[in-house]
Amino acid sequence: MLQESTAERLIQHARARGADFAEIYVERWKKRNLRLLDLEVQEATSGIETGAGVRLFFGTQVVYAYTNDLSEANLLEVTDTLARLKGEAGQVDARGAGGLDFRGSAPAGLHGPQLPPDERDKRWRIERLAEADAAARVGPAIKKVQLYLIEWDQEIQVASSEGVWNTDRRVRTRYVVTAIAENEESMQTGFAGPGLSVGLELFDLEPPAVHGRAAGEQALTLLRAKPAPAGPMPVVIGNAFGGVIFHEALGHLLETTAVARKTSVLTDKLGEKIASEAVTYVDDGTLPHGWGSSEYDDEGAPTERTVLIEKGVLKSYMVDRWGSLMTGYRPTGSGRRQDYTFAPTSRMRNTFIETGDTPVEKLFENIEFGLYAKKMGGGQVRPGSGEYNFAVQEGYVIRNGRVEEPVKGAMLVGKGPESIQRIVAVAADRKNAPGMCGSLSGAVPVEVGQPHLLISEIVVGGEG
Amino acid sequence: MTLQEAKTYLLERARERGVELEALATGSRELSLQARERTLEEITAAERGGIGVRVVKDGKTGYAYSEELSPEALDWVLAEAIENAELQSETGGFLPEGRPLGKSDLLGEGLSAPVEEKKRMALELEEGVLRDPRVQQVGAAIYSEREFQTELASTRGAEGGYRSGYAYQMVSAVMAEGESLKQGYELKVARELFALDPASTAQEFLHRTGRLLGARDLKSGRYTAYFEPSAFLALLSAFIDLWSAKQVLEGKSRLAGRLGQKIASEAFTLYDDPNHPEGLMNAPFDAEGTPTRKVYLVREGVLESFMHNSVTARKLNAESTGHAQRSYKGVLDVGPRNLIVAPGEGVTLQDGVLITDLMGVHAGANSISGDFSLQALGLKIEGGEAAYPVENFTLSGNFFELLERIVATGRELEWSVMFLAGASPTVEVAEVAFAGA
Repeated sequence: MLQESTAERLIQHARARGADFAEIYVERWKKRNLRLLDLEVQEATSGIETGAGVRLFFGTQVVYAYTNDLSEANLLEVTDTLARLKGEAGQVDARGAGGLDFRGSAPAGLHGPQLPPDERDKRWRIERLAEADAAARVGPAIKKVQLYLIEWDQEIQVASSEGVWNTDRRVRTRYVVTAIAENEESMQTGFAGPGLSVGLELFDLEPPAVHGRAAGEQALTLLRAKPAPAGPMPVVIGNAFGGVIFHEALGHLLETTAVARKTSVLTDKLGEKIASEAVTYVDDGTLPHGWGSSEYDDEGAPTERTVLIEKGVLKSYMVDRWGSLMTGYRPTGSGRRQDYTFAPTSRMRNTFIETGDTPVEKLFENIEFGLYAKKMGGGQVRPGSGEYNFAVQEGYVIRNGRVEEPVKGAMLVGKGPESIQRIVAVAADRKNAPGMCGSLSGAVPVEVGQPHLLISEIVVGGEG
Repeated sequence: MTLQEAKTYLLERARERGVELEALATGSRELSLQARERTLEEITAAERGGIGVRVVKDGKTGYAYSEELSPEALDWVLAEAIENAELQSETGGFLPEGRPLGKSDLLGEGLSAPVEEKKRMALELEEGVLRDPRVQQVGAAIYSEREFQTELASTRGAEGGYRSGYAYQMVSAVMAEGESLKQGYELKVARELFALDPASTAQEFLHRTGRLLGARDLKSGRYTAYFEPSAFLALLSAFIDLWSAKQVLEGKSRLAGRLGQKIASEAFTLYDDPNHPEGLMNAPFDAEGTPTRKVYLVREGVLESFMHNSVTARKLNAESTGHAQRSYKGVLDVGPRNLIVAPGEGVTLQDGVLITDLMGVHAGANSISGDFSLQALGLKIEGGEAAYPVENFTLSGNFFELLERIVATGRELEWSVMFLAGASPTVEVAEVAFAGA
């Protein structure tokens, strides 16, 4: 996308204008969306998005520009404008002269697609989605089924004054099934939305019939659900998307974006025991074909498996370049951005609680009365303190160790740093689930995950 | 290729393939300067542009877009748009008859000034707010400007373009007095940079947020509500889709079938004026090339029109009102440009609550039923005077009933772009339910 000579000229130009660090990021996306309602095509769009972002550091102050005119003349002008806006005197820095030694490497294709998007036409996609539609109709109460298919093919390139010269290709595919069930009393929705860093083989890895049925059954379960109980009680949180609570109420507190400005309650706590011993919390950008995986981050650093919490002890934060500069912590390949219109910040990739050794049934055994939050919905978190409230999408009452009737309207209310200390047992059935995470640098694909786990007490807010 | 050349290229390829095509291209430029602790903390300079096509083949409509303007990318756009069209089951799609629309420049030299001047605007805004000891923390003090070039062309003869833009100043900060804390913001937008004055924007912020300090709880009851212009526009933004012909077609507007009937008090007149001398979102033609004009939605309480594009107009047997909206990445929709609540004989404050701010407008309003329950801030008015500020209350009701209870509108228009672009005077509404402590 970018010539090495162009990148070199740009970086030297920026350095000559007084920048301590200069980075250029170039990307090109192909995006396709398809939305079906009861198998009728409601929306089909396709697009190419492309652009470049130039980021300059003057000490720890950052200026950013983006453009989608990728000609060298324009990129030089953009860099000039930025330096002028910053208003630095501009002197030639010796380190900027005399050629840059770019140490690049090509991606190994670790997360590459088996069945690239262009190898099948759209009719084929509709046929595969139709399998989900048919499977979702598990009973006459299912009135509508909506299917949404998202396909992204992104190529990126990053070059910096530190010699970074890396490219990456990220192909991601996801579909979402929404089943709507209705009876005389209410209307309820069930969801399933598998997604991976793969091509159209997603339909074989995550069969539409399985996910369609799951969405349909969830909608039917909710139709017969009773109002949830309220009050403090033991809660078993389901695996996979259950991990969203700790993503929001713990993970975000471990990003240097929050830690460097000391707005996180978990600032300056490395080496301290912040969670129960049952908890090992990992952010892994290398999971093969993970929805949030990539070979390099958006600053061109290789991604890695970062152990954040090991047996309850805080081991690492998630660190981008700016965060590293501010805190002195080693960068962890966590610099991410939605696209070229955002400068990167420290972000999660695939973040999960590691598998434990308690059999799932054991988690329920000694609970006299509690809640089984099998599938989690959305929620809100106060970033500084980790105070959260999350809706339980599919929940059940636990009585005398048994999972009994389904309940609706349950909210889990608590503080992330407190709840993580109350995890008393972790099962051996870890799974991850895809989602989109929104923050300063836009919306990025991430996985959240955990095994089934038991929290000794959470306040459950019910409907009443 | 430039956006102009890309437009021409796509039209030629479409003619060769025998499909109808409409190309909409937008180029935008943005500059944003944010002051914090008396230095410029964040600087962003941006340019973005792209071209999106609407293709009609055998009565089926498809869309695709690109930000890359190479022949290869544009060929892909055309092929994808045609494939997307072929998937549709709905036939009857068409492109409207077009005409030459000319070139216009609605911005002129409005944003031309040395960058030092623009930096000063951000820094002085923060400084102006910090001068008041009640200001605890400034969240943001921003100068920002946007400029757009819009180009439209179709195989049915539409061809034209225009340049537009605006600049704004925004400050948000927390003020404190004793135990009382209030976070507020002030946003000033203008088509010409010299119309923005950091000192007076800061003053306005201090006045509007400062007057809410020391707020008391409001006793529940029914009061006359005096909506300040920005608060009334915020409420209106939650319900403006009622006038969308697209919503009418989807059965989501309770105004359907009521054209020519009285739906509001005679004191209420609502129109869209895309060519207003002070309009912030002016445009000579809409996203399909239909020339824009002043359209009354409600005149003296009577429902006069819905907002139409060519597709909704054909389906409802009406004429397009020039309300087609589309971004190059998006699909055809309907929406207003500069929505204006007509000024009236004037509002005299007597007894009631002056509503200065509405929160959670979209979550707390149901545009289908018209029911709303919104958290608000304001001033208790007694004997024609502001008696004290009030907080922790919601006002609730039904939008259709509220329209009938409008008593009067003020004489002066105030412009806003916060929730929707437009202008409103102060609006007095009788008998609104307030739930307080």
